[in-house]
Amino acid sequence: MPQASPELSSSVKLKYVKLGYQYLVNHILTLLLIPIMVGVLIEVFRLGPDEILNLWNSLHFDLVQILCSSFLIIFAATVYFMSKPRSIYLVDYACYKPPGMLRVPFATFMEHARLVLSSQPKSVEFQTRILERSGLGEETCLPLTIHYIPPRPTMEAARDEAQLVIFSAMDSLLNKTGLKPKDIDILIVNCSIFSPTPSLSAMVINKYKMRSNIKSFNLSGMGCSAGLISIDLARDLLQVHPNSNAIVVSTEIITPNCYQGNQRAMLVPNCLFRMGGAAILLTNRRWERRRAKYRLVHVVRTHKGADDKAYRCVMEEEDPEGKVGISLSKDLMVIAGEALKTNITTTGPLVLPASEQLLFLLTLIGRKIFKQNWKPYIPDFKLAFEHFCIHAGGRAVIDELQQNLQLSAEHVEASRMALHRFGNTSSSSLWYELSYIEAKGRMKKGDRIWQIAFGSGFKCNSAIWKCNRSIQPPTDGPWLDCIHRYPVHIPEVVKL
Amino acid sequence: MVSSDHLNLVYDIKLSSVGPGHVTGSDVVHEPSNMDLAMKLHYLRGVYFFSSEAVQGLTVYRIKEPMFTWLNHYYRTCGRFRRSNSGRPLIKCNDCGVRIIEAKCDKTIDEWLEMKDSSLTKLLVSNHIVGPELPFSPLVFLQVTSFKCGGMSLGLSWAHVLGDAFSASDFINMWGQAMANQLPQHPVDLPKSFSMLVKPANRSQLATDPLSIKRVDPVGDNWITANNCKMEPFSFHITATQLTQLQAKISGHKATPPFECLCTIFWQSIARVCSRHEPEIVTVCKNERGSRRTGTLSNSAQIISTVKADFSVKEAKPKDVAALLVEHAVDERGLIESAVERDGGVSDFIIYGANLTFVNLEEASFYGLELNGQKPVHVSYLIDGIGDEGVVLVAPPGPKDSGKDSSEGKIVTVILPEDQVMELKSELKREWSIA
Repeated sequence: MPQASPELSSSVKLKYVKLGYQYLVNHILTLLLIPIMVGVLIEVFRLGPDEILNLWNSLHFDLVQILCSSFLIIFAATVYFMSKPRSIYLVDYACYKPPGMLRVPFATFMEHARLVLSSQPKSVEFQTRILERSGLGEETCLPLTIHYIPPRPTMEAARDEAQLVIFSAMDSLLNKTGLKPKDIDILIVNCSIFSPTPSLSAMVINKYKMRSNIKSFNLSGMGCSAGLISIDLARDLLQVHPNSNAIVVSTEIITPNCYQGNQRAMLVPNCLFRMGGAAILLTNRRWERRRAKYRLVHVVRTHKGADDKAYRCVMEEEDPEGKVGISLSKDLMVIAGEALKTNITTTGPLVLPASEQLLFLLTLIGRKIFKQNWKPYIPDFKLAFEHFCIHAGGRAVIDELQQNLQLSAEHVEASRMALHRFGNTSSSSLWYELSYIEAKGRMKKGDRIWQIAFGSGFKCNSAIWKCNRSIQPPTDGPWLDCIHRYPVHIPEVVKL
Repeated sequence: MVSSDHLNLVYDIKLSSVGPGHVTGSDVVHEPSNMDLAMKLHYLRGVYFFSSEAVQGLTVYRIKEPMFTWLNHYYRTCGRFRRSNSGRPLIKCNDCGVRIIEAKCDKTIDEWLEMKDSSLTKLLVSNHIVGPELPFSPLVFLQVTSFKCGGMSLGLSWAHVLGDAFSASDFINMWGQAMANQLPQHPVDLPKSFSMLVKPANRSQLATDPLSIKRVDPVGDNWITANNCKMEPFSFHITATQLTQLQAKISGHKATPPFECLCTIFWQSIARVCSRHEPEIVTVCKNERGSRRTGTLSNSAQIISTVKADFSVKEAKPKDVAALLVEHAVDERGLIESAVERDGGVSDFIIYGANLTFVNLEEASFYGLELNGQKPVHVSYLIDGIGDEGVVLVAPPGPKDSGKDSSEGKIVTVILPEDQVMELKSELKREWSIA
């Protein structure tokens, strides 16, 4: 069409300009170096071989000078290698796949909600609306005790669920990696709500008969972003302890989470949170490099707790009837957006190519100096990463991030599909998403992955990984029997 | 009504739901046939008693786990009713599930069976009905009651709109197979509708309803009729030898099938004790052999016929009544379907109890449900939501009761208005030596 083509051609021209600019800035060193080297080579050829030999002989070297210089070089190299932080590798990970018998179809969820909250039809109506728009599918799972009318959450039931989820994931991981429990040096378990004594990490040590000098940690109360906090802790510990293995278990135990009151702000987690868990093996042993899947590049943690509104936006408390639940404030998405901006401000310079950083800097200066209403430049993170794993906190979270970071539908596909198939599995959702990308065969060597998680506090944590080797679609894993059905189209509103 | 001291017999009730392990799919709908809708106000209540050996090691988890694979085959029973725009009910197969009730009882199985109180069965099986909210009413309830001796009872409460007693029995027997890991690999493909299977016998444009059904006042979404009087169930166990004697007494040298013999006996006896009027017309329900596919649920494979007596039954010779039953039964299924179709499936009917109804369940494999390789020690079935004329069910006996000769004994369950019960019992004892 004639009308479209001038716009089309101008946008195409703009694209090429942009590409040219990126190439120029990102390879500036190479581009500067080449003329210099060409100049030197020309000079060398001009001088001729005899002249060069004379130049060499005129430099008087004696033994001491040579020894000192080489000693200096070796010393500098040693200092460099010793002070370089150890590379942390992710050897493999395993996600828990709940059995079909624990699944909760929409119809069953709504029917049970009606029976449990029979005196509160408005609350039931509210839950229906949330579920219709949640982005969850019909295969998400809840633990056995929650299937009762009314649910019967006891401590014993919570322990049973914890054992089921954690031990399944651990067994799967130990199987996949061939690791012996006695070889585990560091164990970190994170589970926000359920925190019994002895701790869940003690439960794991007891089950697998781990060594008595194991360094174990149990993180509780840290919300959905605790998974990346555990990874950060493991990384720091692996800097201190050489030749060590660390296992991180991320999960959320749903049984004690079941809210049985009728406050709307507290009913939302009932609709979204589902069973899930993951176990991850990290190591700093150099010989594992060959089989490790990923290398940890950066972890960036941002905490907005200093702000009162952010602190209170996800709050576990008692409702007026004394029933305990997690209350989500209405400002959640706004606060999440701000936390994300703060996190990006730190992450950006670490990962963005020079071209984007320069543009961002120039726009920032321009806005400050000229005080014009320039739109803030949103750096194109798609240049920095091939894959994105956004915590599947809910459809709204994924939509918000997709918009903020200007991501395409394919970039957020892993997050949306993990939300559909497994629901919001809290800290382990990032691993289900990574597993999805692998199952689709999209993970190639050198790909960079960005995992972003939000959590109560309010926190926004990022982890950046680099793929160590091309990964074949796995022959096990939580997506094995259903990956062929994905991606599915998730309607805005599911008619129940 | 169950007396107050009986109310505490079964306690510690827990409710949960179990559905298919696989997603059936969105917008899968099953349209009940006309025959199904004619039966919608009836409910089957079956109770299976198992000894402690049969259920050794069966925790609730082990009972529920195979149900998810089993219900993949029967996803229709896990759906819920909706009404289409025309008001015709249909089942949305949304995997909502069957309701499971767990309960405990402080008696042993033997003590319970000795009580011989059929009304106590109400405690072991749910008396649910479909409604008052159709989209939230489960169609099947399963109650698992643990007894003091370690035995267990399984109460199946089944909405007749899904299928007849043979279908219900096949349904629960497949659960037994699932428990033993012997399910067929692929779910049986349940065809969408059965209305084409039975060709209506008479496609006339009659405006009158057939004799076998009774049109009741609209019940809306509360699928149960009220009786004018209280109906009481009671059972007789007729041994094989007794049966042979009765057959001989009725028809002499001609061999009348056992079912028709029992129908004759009960028809005559009820005619004699019934004070209001003598039942001239009876409905007879029998399995239609060969028209039932394994694993399918249907109401159309049960022949519903009427028998009309021109003479007075209470004074007639038994062999005349027997001959009438054997030779002059009129299959009314086609007429029933037309009657339902005329109103677009919106009207409400009853079949069982519209006239005195005899239901032949001899061929139902009630004892086919096996746990740990063991059959149940006792099975009883009742029908709820029946009309005032009453129902007589003839069921197969337990495994201990097979007679020495080739014929077996029978369990006859009678559900009649309570004012007729005592007289009927004495009449049967006096005339036929049935106690």
